[in-house]
This record gives sequence, C-alpha cells and structure tokens, in this order.
Amino acid sequence: MADLSIERLSLSFGGLAALSDVDIAVPAGEIRGIIGPNGAGKTTLLNVISGLVRPTEGEIRLDGQPLTRLKASEVAARGVGRTFQTSLLFKGMTVLENVMAGMHQGLRTSVLAAAVGLPGVLREERRARERAREALAFVGMLSFAERDGASLSFGQQRLVEIARSLVAEPKVLLLDEPAVGLSPPRVAELDELLRRIRDKRGITIIMVEHVIRLVMGVCDRITVLNSGRKIADGTPDVILADPFVKEAYLGKSSDADRA
Amino acid sequence: MLLAYALSSGITSGALYALVAVGLVLCYRTTGHINFSHGELFMIGGFLAFTLHVMWGLPYIVALLGAVAGSFVLGVLTDRVVYQPLIKAPPIAMVMATVGLSFVLKGIGRHFWGGQGEVVPFPPLVSPAPVLIGGVAVFPQQLVVVASVVVCMLLLTLFFTRTRAGKMMQATAENAHAAYLVGIRVERVYMLTWGVGAALAGVAAVFVAPLTLLTPDIGLSLLLKAFAATILGGLGSMTGAVIGGLLVGILEALAGTYIASSIQDVSAFIIILAVLVFRPTGLLGARARREV
Repeated sequence: MADLSIERLSLSFGGLAALSDVDIAVPAGEIRGIIGPNGAGKTTLLNVISGLVRPTEGEIRLDGQPLTRLKASEVAARGVGRTFQTSLLFKGMTVLENVMAGMHQGLRTSVLAAAVGLPGVLREERRARERAREALAFVGMLSFAERDGASLSFGQQRLVEIARSLVAEPKVLLLDEPAVGLSPPRVAELDELLRRIRDKRGITIIMVEHVIRLVMGVCDRITVLNSGRKIADGTPDVILADPFVKEAYLGKSSDADRA
Repeated sequence: MLLAYALSSGITSGALYALVAVGLVLCYRTTGHINFSHGELFMIGGFLAFTLHVMWGLPYIVALLGAVAGSFVLGVLTDRVVYQPLIKAPPIAMVMATVGLSFVLKGIGRHFWGGQGEVVPFPPLVSPAPVLIGGVAVFPQQLVVVASVVVCMLLLTLFFTRTRAGKMMQATAENAHAAYLVGIRVERVYMLTWGVGAALAGVAAVFVAPLTLLTPDIGLSLLLKAFAATILGGLGSMTGAVIGGLLVGILEALAGTYIASSIQDVSAFIIILAVLVFRPTGLLGARARREV
C-alpha cells in the first residue's frame, strides 16, 4: 500500500495554464476519483503523475519519495501503473504476450540471466508467463489468452490493459476513463474489479472517469477539477451536494437548482 | 554429384547468410534502420575469434563466446554512439552515420588484423576430411555450421516466444510510442536489439572463418548478401530472412557451378535487382506487413 501526494502542482504551456496549484493527497489503499468537465486537466494530471509531461512547478511524491523529475519508465519502475483512454494493445501479439510485455522490471534480469544459463532463464520466464495468466484470470480474461489482442472488443481490451499494468506490480494504478463505452452490467463488473484490485492486491487507485454511477459507487473520495484548478475534494456525498461542483459540472441546471 | 556438392556448399553459406540477415532484420524491425556497418560487426567478430583461437591458442568455445560477447558490446556501442544520439534526426543521418561507422570499423580491422598478409587462415574446427552422406561428400565443418545455425535460430525463437524481453522487443517494434507509454524502457530495448543483432553477426563470423578466409574488407560483401536475403525474404520478416539467406546461398552456389564461377559474387546483386523489379515485397512481404 502506498500513498500519493500532489503538492502545488502547476503546468502551463506557454501562457496557458493547464493545471494551477493543484493539491491532492491520496492515502494508501484509497480509490480516488478525478472528475471534471472536458478540458479540466484530468488526463493532463495523470500524464504529469506518470512522468509523460514535466510540471512547471510542484511536487509529486509516492510514499514520500519524489517522482517529479523522473522519466516515464522510471515512474513506472517505482510502482505507478497506468492505462489510457485509447487502447494501447500491441497488434499482432496475443493477449497473453501483450500482458507479458508489461513486465518491464523483467528486462534487465532476463538479459543477465540469459548470460548465466538457459535452464534458469526458461524457468523464470515460465514463472513470468504464469503470473501473466494469473493477472488475466484476475480480470476475468484468461479464456482470451491466446486470442489476438486486436480482435477483442473495446471493453475487453480495457481489461487486458488493466491486467498488463497489474503484472508490473504497481503500488498505485492510474486509470483514464476505464468505463468508457461499457454497458451497465460491464460497469458493475468493473466496479467489483476495482474493489478487488484494491483489497486483494493492495493497490491505491486514481481514476479519471465520466461515468458518474461508477465514480459515486466505488470511489472513497472524489477530487473535482475545473479549468486546471481543484474546486472540490471529498466523499461522494459531499461532492454531490457541493454547489460549486454542480455549477462547474452540470452547468446551467445548477441555476435551476438554486432558484 | 556436382549438383549435390553445389547444394551442400550453398546450404552452408546460405545458413550463415541467414544468420547475418536475421541480425539485420532484427535491428531494422525494432529501430526502423538498416545498419550499414552490420558486415563490419561480422568482420570484427571473426577477427576477435581469430585472435583468441589462432593467435592466443584458446579453445574454440572460448573464441566463440569471446566473439559473441565482443560483437554484442560493439552493437551496444553502435546504439550509444550512433543510434541514440541520432534517434530524432532524419533517417538519412542514420544511414550516413552507419556507413561512416562501417569505415571506422574497417579501419580498426585493417589496423589490427590487416596489412601483413592479405588474408588470415582459421584452422577448421573438426577434421577437414570429407565424409560421405548418401554418396555425397560433405565437409564435417559444413555440418557443424548448419547445426549451429539451427541451434541459434531455435534459441532466438525461444527468446521471442518465451521471454519477457522478447515480448518487449516485439512490442517496441510494433509501436514504440505505446511501449514507452506502457512503461517499457524503450532505450534499453533498442540497446538490447543492437547488441543481439550484432552478436548474431559475431556468431556467424566464428562459423564462417574456418570455411572462407577472413579479410578486413569482408564486411561489405557479407552485408550485400544479407541484404539480398532480407530483400528476397521480404524486408522486416525474420522467417523471410532465413528463407532468403538459404536461397541466396544456394542460388549463388548453383550459379557459380553451372554458369561461371565469376557469377557467384555478383549473384547477390542480381537477386536484389530481380526481386525489386518483379516482387518488391519479397517472398513473405505481404505477410510480413501483417506480422509484427
């Protein structure tokens, strides 16, 4: 279990502020939702956390250790996993192979081990394959292990991507709109999967999501961004009742509510 | 009889071309670049083995491992010195740089191993007396070469199908950006790719050395043959490179035997021209596009 803290985080492109002065503290074992209207800076925030974009100011810490100046692969190696809005499965590779490609910590060891001896390498690689299969079973996709990744439905690809990020054994998992395009029963399954990831694997989850039913149901706390600023932070009930959130998120209907 | 002889020598050299070609394709597929100094990696590998085995009298296996390790390191250096610094430059820069590197390596080869005699002999690994297999005289060295190439291919296949590093290489070849986003250390994958590609050239060199003569200028002709093999097989396909390598070896042996021995050395050019004119995608080209 690990906590993630974001302190006074700002990012501007030229004069345009994409994120300004964002403070978020996610305690270990929490499922945190990040919501906000389009262009609020949610995906940008995930990109900054995972090291794809360098912030202009501020600090991000995982268990107190700064992540801010690290490269994306180094952030991943410290234990921050990630899935993306668009599918990033590798074409021409099976589902199982795709998941194995996510075991990035294995690269150095397997090269070194290859120099030492083949039997040991194969044993270790067999174990890696087992772990990949376990991860697929965990997300309920084991029966698709030998299928071509590209032949899966959008929602299935999502699950495979989650499995791929799980095999890297992250401490914190960043999910960018995992429920987009899922039917309501699938959303319920995702809700249950997210809880299992937290409870069984001890992974802290930070999730950007538009599907309000999922966010309100599964998240312990929710942070609301609007125009790159944090405008609210609290439990789902508090967020639902927050007038600023209603105004930012629901726009005009909030006027009707107030009237 | 003549045919059998031509075939056996063709298959032997073809197997070696296949090994060199696979290294070339491996780098091309992952990095998108043809390494024009690939033939020189082969040459240096061969001379490293020569130094260890012939000059220092170390066992053949030590020479083999030394040449493989040495060419792996050279491949890694290629990555550090040429590929990584130019990774964002236009492709022509990489072409020029690897061509330049081939001259540098050739110069190094000439400095250390050239000059005194034009060529250096490498003693055969096994008894030079031919053995009869089904009435055909075959040199034991040829059998050793073919068997070793098969073992190398199996190891490589195992590497790609069974190991995480292999999957990561495949993933990077398929979509480097996605691999980066997923957290794969793409630079490390590139480094490994150059190293493995070069090591394959080194292995081939150690097996070729006892069959032909090593010269510091051997690299270019090897590169051409490997290139002909990859073009014939379909650029970017590993299986194609193996088939292409064997075919180039067999075709040039047949041409040398039945047409004129002077044709042998230019047959690689003829193959490149013929393939580019009649089937630009190569034998497995259409499939290669769907393969990774």
